[in-house]
Amino acid sequence: MSIRFENVSKSFGPKKVLDQVSFEVKKGQILFILGKSGMGKSVTLKHLIGVLAPDSGKIFVDHFEVSALHSPQRIDELTLVRQKCGMVFQHPALLDSLTNFENLAFGLRTPQYQKKMGRALTESEIEKRVFDTLKLVHLEKDVLELFPNETSYGVQKRISMARTLAPQPEYLLFDEPTTGLDPLSTSSINSLIYELSRELNVTSIIVSHDMACALSIADEILFLDQGKVLLMAAPKVVAQSKIPLVEEFFKETLSLLPPGWSPSHA
Amino acid sequence: MKRAAFRKHLDAFILAVHLFRRCFAQTSTGPHRKKETYLAIENLGLGSLPIISLATGFTGLVMTGEIAWHMDFALSNVSMIPGFTGQFVLRELGVAIPALLMVSKVGASLTAELASMRITEQIDAFRLLKIDVVSYHVYPRWLACIFSTVCLTVISIAITLGIAMFTAVTKYHFNSEEYLNTMTQFINSVDLICAISKAAVFGMIIPPIACAYGLTCDGGAQGVGQATTDAVVACTLSVITLDFVLTAFFSALF
Amino acid sequence: MRNLRNTPLQTLEGLGGAVTGSYQKGYSVIYQQMHELGGACSFLYRIFHSTRKITGYQSAITDQIVAVSTRAMSTIIFAGLFVGAILVLQFESMLRRFDAQSLLGGLNTSATIREIGPLIISFLLAGKVGAYTTAELANMRVTEQIDAIESLGTDSIQYLIIPRFFAIVISSLFLLAIGLAVSVMGSLLVADFFSGMNLYEYILSIPRFVGLWTLFEGFIRCSIFSTIVATVSTYKGYTATGGARGVGKAVTASAIYINVYIVVANFISSSLLEWIHDFLQWVTS
Repeated sequence: MSIRFENVSKSFGPKKVLDQVSFEVKKGQILFILGKSGMGKSVTLKHLIGVLAPDSGKIFVDHFEVSALHSPQRIDELTLVRQKCGMVFQHPALLDSLTNFENLAFGLRTPQYQKKMGRALTESEIEKRVFDTLKLVHLEKDVLELFPNETSYGVQKRISMARTLAPQPEYLLFDEPTTGLDPLSTSSINSLIYELSRELNVTSIIVSHDMACALSIADEILFLDQGKVLLMAAPKVVAQSKIPLVEEFFKETLSLLPPGWSPSHA
Repeated sequence: MKRAAFRKHLDAFILAVHLFRRCFAQTSTGPHRKKETYLAIENLGLGSLPIISLATGFTGLVMTGEIAWHMDFALSNVSMIPGFTGQFVLRELGVAIPALLMVSKVGASLTAELASMRITEQIDAFRLLKIDVVSYHVYPRWLACIFSTVCLTVISIAITLGIAMFTAVTKYHFNSEEYLNTMTQFINSVDLICAISKAAVFGMIIPPIACAYGLTCDGGAQGVGQATTDAVVACTLSVITLDFVLTAFFSALF
Repeated sequence: MRNLRNTPLQTLEGLGGAVTGSYQKGYSVIYQQMHELGGACSFLYRIFHSTRKITGYQSAITDQIVAVSTRAMSTIIFAGLFVGAILVLQFESMLRRFDAQSLLGGLNTSATIREIGPLIISFLLAGKVGAYTTAELANMRVTEQIDAIESLGTDSIQYLIIPRFFAIVISSLFLLAIGLAVSVMGSLLVADFFSGMNLYEYILSIPRFVGLWTLFEGFIRCSIFSTIVATVSTYKGYTATGGARGVGKAVTASAIYINVYIVVANFISSSLLEWIHDFLQWVTS
């Protein structure tokens, strides 16, 4: 039960975004993918749910080989994989023709989800699930009546996260979950990710710039640069790494933290 | 909601009239911005040439067939083809088709360009730098659009007539000399002048309308799409309405 | 300007470069157009492929049909009226020279139904509905809404594309009927007021040219054109990239491609329909 990348390469035109990337995430772990902007972090996630297809290499989610599911005949299996993986996008990506409630309930009304449950959920069940997930992301019920563009960016981002959580996926993929949020929401989202993976045994992959957060909650940290894996290790190892980019990242982060802080405090 | 939409179109219309007047005034006061105008002619005019040639060529093919079918059906002879096609192309089809294609090619791209400049706050930046968007951006494109529409109309009339003659010769066994002689009996230079002045009018109204919708756009990526859609529809309807007015005017005149 | 004063050899070299450059440019343009056409065709195949196993989006199609019809109705009525008026003016002045004004009604109505009606309706549909659909889908694509739908395990083609595609095709036929009716009315009005035609004569000449086959031809053409509108507009929106500028680009491209494809399809369909007509006549005789 794991996610595995084997020598995955992808280029957009002449630009090589992923170059022989290999790594593995085990059940219940939290993996942070760090790196500078435009270094193929979001692309990695989009490969995982089969929105993009790799040029070469293989991607496995559990026993499914995602990279081989792109033909129209195997679209059903791809849907199964997407059912397992919930992705939170960089932008809120809420459907702006639906209310927040309908957005949250979207994943619960799909035929695929009904197949997984073996039946269609009743309206009251859907409502209960929506309220429960809303509590997880610390929002009140009054936002449900509104349309996405009537709410603030922070609220939209939380609703987007709740929408992903509602069908209870086994893997959670976050694309910069805390960018553009205030510090309070940031820390509450970070602790939410931590809770989910520890209590519900959910595997999370988080793409981020936020090294401080990575050091405090990650099991493993992966550095991507120029499409290559620079380093993949536990936070403690990362803190002592001598690779220039990693060191720079770490120094920048340390300068923002109180003196005497170390990864073991997490 | 309905009222807001009406208000938006009214704003765009007022701005379009304003832009048109500004451009018109600039033709006498200058500056004439030759370099930008040449560039715009290359982009808008030459860029549309292949598409318009292709479209009008096919139109010529279809039209000859249609007219021949009707003639054959009604009068059981096809000797009227040359005169009929010549007149129809010169007065209507050869002018309307290029104008409608210019709307969707030039009008849409002008709106999309200005709208995305506006929502990325480039227009505000221009305003801060005291650069006049109308004088720098709209005016050269306006001149270029008039010039290109007229040229493209003449070219497309030539192509359509050529193709119509080719079809008549190959399919309906006309003699090419005889065809030309018959055709020239029915068309004269007045028809050509009417066609060119119609084309100039269409070329004149497309850029102000398109730019007005671009400049009044707001609301992110969705706003750009909405503005472009609105502009294409507004330009198409203006072209059709003016076509009617000009046709009635010319047919009363000559 | 300085370049022009160079040595003749350099000028020649420059000229040669320009020729090869434009040749290469022309080649790449053709390649690009083929690529574009192929993309649209395979998208159409994808749409039909996922239609076969569609589950429960029928109500979405009806909603979209209502939305498309109401959005385009006023434009089509307005344009239909004016197009009918223009045609009658032009035909009248042409027929006057041949002294065949008694044919005006039939010629005009037949041309409207067979040829110009479907063409104008689909041009307007391209502007009003096609561009709107492209803008809507492109906006959903660049704000990752389509990716979000896919990641929740819903087929985005089934959820977004199929309702819009069939709504455009189905409502175009409905809109054509209205547009043709309005346009014939417009012609009647102008024939009466401007040209001083005898209305009785005008109406009597219509059945000479217009029959069931004419209507059939008009509707077949319209459904072909609206399939083009639906395919290209959804394809361009679905595959848009690159932020707000990308949305603008997608809309522009969809508007122009639709018009060109329609003009080409017009030729192909009229040849095909002519053959079918001749064939049917041969069978019945």
